[in-house]
Amino acid sequence: MNEKLKIDKLYALSSENKKFSFKLPLKNKIRIGKRDYIVQLRSDEKLGMYILWKNRKYPVEVVRSRQNKYEILFNDISYTFTVETPFSLQRLKVIRSGKGRSEQESVKAPMPGKIIDVLVREGATVLRGEPVVILEAMKMQNEIQSPVNGTVIRVNAKANTNVMKEDVLVEIKVE
Amino acid sequence: MKILKILIANRGEIAIRIMKTARLMKIRTVAIKTILEPNAMYLSYADEIYDNTEDVSEIPVFLDIEKLISIALNTGSNAVHPGYGFLAESAYFAQKCHDNKIIYIGPSPDAIYKMGNKMIARRLALKNNIPMAMGSEGNISNEEEAVKIAEKIGYPVIIKAASGGGGRGMRIVRKSEEMERMFITASKEAEKAFNDPSVFIEKYIENPKHIEFQILGDQHGNIIHLGERECSIQRKHQKLLEEAPSCALDSNLREKMGSMAIQISKAVNYYSAGTVEFLLDSDRNFYFMEMNTRIQVEHPVTESITGYDLIEQQIRIANGEPLKMKQEDVILKGWAIECRINAEDVQAGFAPDPGKIESFSMPSDSYVRVDTGIQAGSSIVSSYDSMIAKLIVKGKDRKEAIKNCKMALDKVWIKGTKTTLPLFRLIIRNQNFLDGTFTTAFIEKDLEKYYYNSDYEEMLAAWLATKLFVEENLQENSINVDFENVREMSPWLLNKRITQF
Repeated sequence: MNEKLKIDKLYALSSENKKFSFKLPLKNKIRIGKRDYIVQLRSDEKLGMYILWKNRKYPVEVVRSRQNKYEILFNDISYTFTVETPFSLQRLKVIRSGKGRSEQESVKAPMPGKIIDVLVREGATVLRGEPVVILEAMKMQNEIQSPVNGTVIRVNAKANTNVMKEDVLVEIKVE
Repeated sequence: MKILKILIANRGEIAIRIMKTARLMKIRTVAIKTILEPNAMYLSYADEIYDNTEDVSEIPVFLDIEKLISIALNTGSNAVHPGYGFLAESAYFAQKCHDNKIIYIGPSPDAIYKMGNKMIARRLALKNNIPMAMGSEGNISNEEEAVKIAEKIGYPVIIKAASGGGGRGMRIVRKSEEMERMFITASKEAEKAFNDPSVFIEKYIENPKHIEFQILGDQHGNIIHLGERECSIQRKHQKLLEEAPSCALDSNLREKMGSMAIQISKAVNYYSAGTVEFLLDSDRNFYFMEMNTRIQVEHPVTESITGYDLIEQQIRIANGEPLKMKQEDVILKGWAIECRINAEDVQAGFAPDPGKIESFSMPSDSYVRVDTGIQAGSSIVSSYDSMIAKLIVKGKDRKEAIKNCKMALDKVWIKGTKTTLPLFRLIIRNQNFLDGTFTTAFIEKDLEKYYYNSDYEEMLAAWLATKLFVEENLQENSINVDFENVREMSPWLLNKRITQF
């Protein structure tokens, strides 16, 4: 039997684990309270892609898509969603309940730039918010901070070298 | 000698701003075309373009004094306007212009030098009884000395670069253990940014307001002020939103601070437009911080409430004309707010987000003024600052200005890079901002996140993600999403595909 018949809903899960559910087939209408509102995806030469909702145009952009993961830029704000079917959502729940959160954090360069100073060594303990690297970009020196409490297990950043966005600077074992 | 032709030693919106006024005054302008931005919008406002695209030197032409002088001479420009940033506060550049009989549209080299050197400026302020935060008497040469002086003044203290400005080389120190590290970083940063590692120490005023006064002086000894600007909304000493006037001042305090601003300007025989910056604490004590000897980014808010064109005033003053207005002629009318829309990602620590502006549209309502050097197709290049546009909104009072600002922000359309727009949408809804009680700690302390979205925006984004998923997977008669195979899809391709239905 075709599995397709069983799917009547899709879920978009945000990175903060907010769940938005949409009935299939997907309509150009969204119900708020007791009323349906029309939502339209449009595009024109001047504005590019946009969503029309309640008489207002919102700029949208699909920044990235990989498998079922989508990064959407909506009205200048980025949102990341994974779209799940009822089955994959169930599977996800099972996986999540069996495994804790990741034990290792990578500190990545938020922008391309030049490393001015590396403030930690391997083995050092760091606190959340503690600066680990000074990165210069667009004439400004930026402190790149540790997102977690933990121990530095690897330092990839070297002073006076250039890095690309998303390059891993420091890896930290979460406490 | 009268100004007949101005070489614009700058780029972007400020180059355009200067050229617009020059055109009204029937003065010719020369703009410089560079290899980094050969199609920049500012070039279209110039009467002449000097093509410098062959120049591949590491130093941008806007920082190359010898080159600028030779361009001015070669193009027959008898004046130079430095704008802001780059060489706008270089006494040496101003002097070089004088030496070559080119009119420098700005203050005298002597005034630039004295105000540029924070230690000299401090001494001048002390001599003139201008209130100042306690501090070191001179530059500090090592960490031990720094610790000693800081103990005497009492923590917290702030380390500042003697030749600094714009927040670089500045570090706040709260305890003596931090001093060594902070002293070294501040000094290093100062050397890199200003070619001068010397720093000094001042008492750090906690949570002040940043209030600055716009000054105009002519070459005949007349100096007036055009009221204040409220610039407390800043992040790492970079201003984000400015307004004029400030709700922290009444006419008494305005007069007191304004006359102090005039007094310190007189101490260096200041002429042209200038800005005297003060910190204002919660007890309404104010402290002289520094004087900026240039036209400032946020000058439009002052223009909006006084009606004076500051670039025109600068040009007239450089021509030797006396000021036409007196202090009592200056009337502050209405309220103005400026939002600096930068290509920065407020969801990623304000990381610069350079790139090509795909589409661009700004509101055209009567209460809106837009100063920009960007149009659809322009690029924000990482070699320069990340400014896209200044959105200046006016109202008859603060309440109306904020209301108008809210509407204007929703009409700005920028695609291609992330911007600071979501931050401004948040700020103008924040209670401390609405009350006017905010201080320079606003961005770091009063905000939990740096963007605002209305109730349904995230849901609409979720709908779009779901729609894309349906397009890609369900319509091909298969729901077997290939979870193993990592597949990147070009956003461009995706866009194309979506627009087809």
